[in-house]
Amino acid sequence: MNAAALLTEAYRTGVPCPPLRGTHIPEGDVDAAYAVQREQVDAWLAAGRRQVGAKIGLTARAVQEAFGVFQPDFGVLMADAAVPDGAEIALDRLLQPRVEAEVAFVLGADLPEPQVTTVDVIRATDHLLPAIEVVDSRVAGWDISIVDTVADNASSGLFVLGTRPVRLSDVDLRLCGAVVEHAGEPVSVGAGAACLGNPLHAVAWLAATLATAGQPLRAGDVVLSGALGPMVSVTPGAAYEARISGLGSVRVCFGKEAV
Amino acid sequence: MTAELAERLDTAALTATPIPQIASRAGLDAAAAYTVQEQLVARRLARGERLVGIKLGLTSRAKMAQVGVDEVIWGRLTDGMTVADGSTVDTSRLIHPRIEPEVAFLLDAAGNATAVAPALEVIDSRYADFRFALADVIVDNSSAAAYAIGSWRPVPDGVDNLGVLLEVDGRVVQIGSTAAILGDPRRAVSQGLRLAGRVEAGWVLLAGAATAAVPLAKGAYVRAVVEGLGAVGVRAS
Repeated sequence: MNAAALLTEAYRTGVPCPPLRGTHIPEGDVDAAYAVQREQVDAWLAAGRRQVGAKIGLTARAVQEAFGVFQPDFGVLMADAAVPDGAEIALDRLLQPRVEAEVAFVLGADLPEPQVTTVDVIRATDHLLPAIEVVDSRVAGWDISIVDTVADNASSGLFVLGTRPVRLSDVDLRLCGAVVEHAGEPVSVGAGAACLGNPLHAVAWLAATLATAGQPLRAGDVVLSGALGPMVSVTPGAAYEARISGLGSVRVCFGKEAV
Repeated sequence: MTAELAERLDTAALTATPIPQIASRAGLDAAAAYTVQEQLVARRLARGERLVGIKLGLTSRAKMAQVGVDEVIWGRLTDGMTVADGSTVDTSRLIHPRIEPEVAFLLDAAGNATAVAPALEVIDSRYADFRFALADVIVDNSSAAAYAIGSWRPVPDGVDNLGVLLEVDGRVVQIGSTAAILGDPRRAVSQGLRLAGRVEAGWVLLAGAATAAVPLAKGAYVRAVVEGLGAVGVRAS
């Protein structure tokens, strides 16, 4: 099986596949990894699934250092990966989920220019929402390098958006505190600056990258801009609330393990 | 025996010379350790220093796990530990100083918080390699060494999730939130009152670290920025 088929099989069976680097994708060949991602996304779209935006990964310096790559990566968001605020996610929808608090940008204008500035992103942003990204890896044990995660849709799983839109001018995206709480305990804390210094910078990078690739961000797209604190491994049965200062809160819970 | 332990810790701090983990080796429990801490601070007061507040320690899950406890600890602050915002900390008098961003509360006589400010705390364990068990860190006055406080302002609604940046020479080195402090730093006020038993009007309460501490190197300019509260900075000489 090729890399895309292995990942597709992992989604279908719920059984993760071995790492792809070195065997199916050359180590460090990020372009080849994006081609593997594209092959899966094309199949999803052909099957009638709807793309609603994109996610940005590897935005924390500590994570970039761990991977030895000094740029973010991206994946796509599909409509059927959106989970309502507060809903319970059945564990069999995911393989090895983790949660993180993020800022979601909802665009009101296209971003077609390959040369993008922060001002372009500010002007194109319609509103922000607090978000929980449920990241997941189809690669066993999260044993991933840059090419493994890029090929695997940037380790995207599901996502939960808050429901109260906030204007960009009402939030300090650099200094805003972020916390994921579980049973009254902060299990991950951070701030806006953890995402490439400011989530706006991450969105500008994505806009430039996608415009260069001929698939620019469009009005209406949702962009998950990147984690504001460390990832939290999901405990079956647990509920998590993410709070971002100035943006409000959003929550999700997970089903218990099958008896 | 407690007086002897207090003297050894006092000498370690005065001479900037690390010592072994004497309290845990002596089998002290937490209550006995706080007695030693009181005697240690009494030696500072006898030299003319004045009590000006309290600090909390082990206020994050990560730090509690590191020491193997699930209880916060406290220490006593004296005027000899204060450093004015923007001024200098003399590291030559310290063993292996670390610095961390915090929030500080100003207390009234009843222990209510009347104001809040960004703060930097310099911690300096008197134990070799910064390694200690619970009793050790308690007798060591919870590693207190020095602290600086920014501008006071009225406590706003909701200080439970303010973003916190720690900068060294203008570069961000730690990122966190006040949520790391007991889930909400206001809980540090009630915990501090409970642990210390009494407070005085005008005392300062250092609520605990919002991020991991970083080594404080000679020559560094360190600044803490707290969302909505402003900033405070110190230079290490």
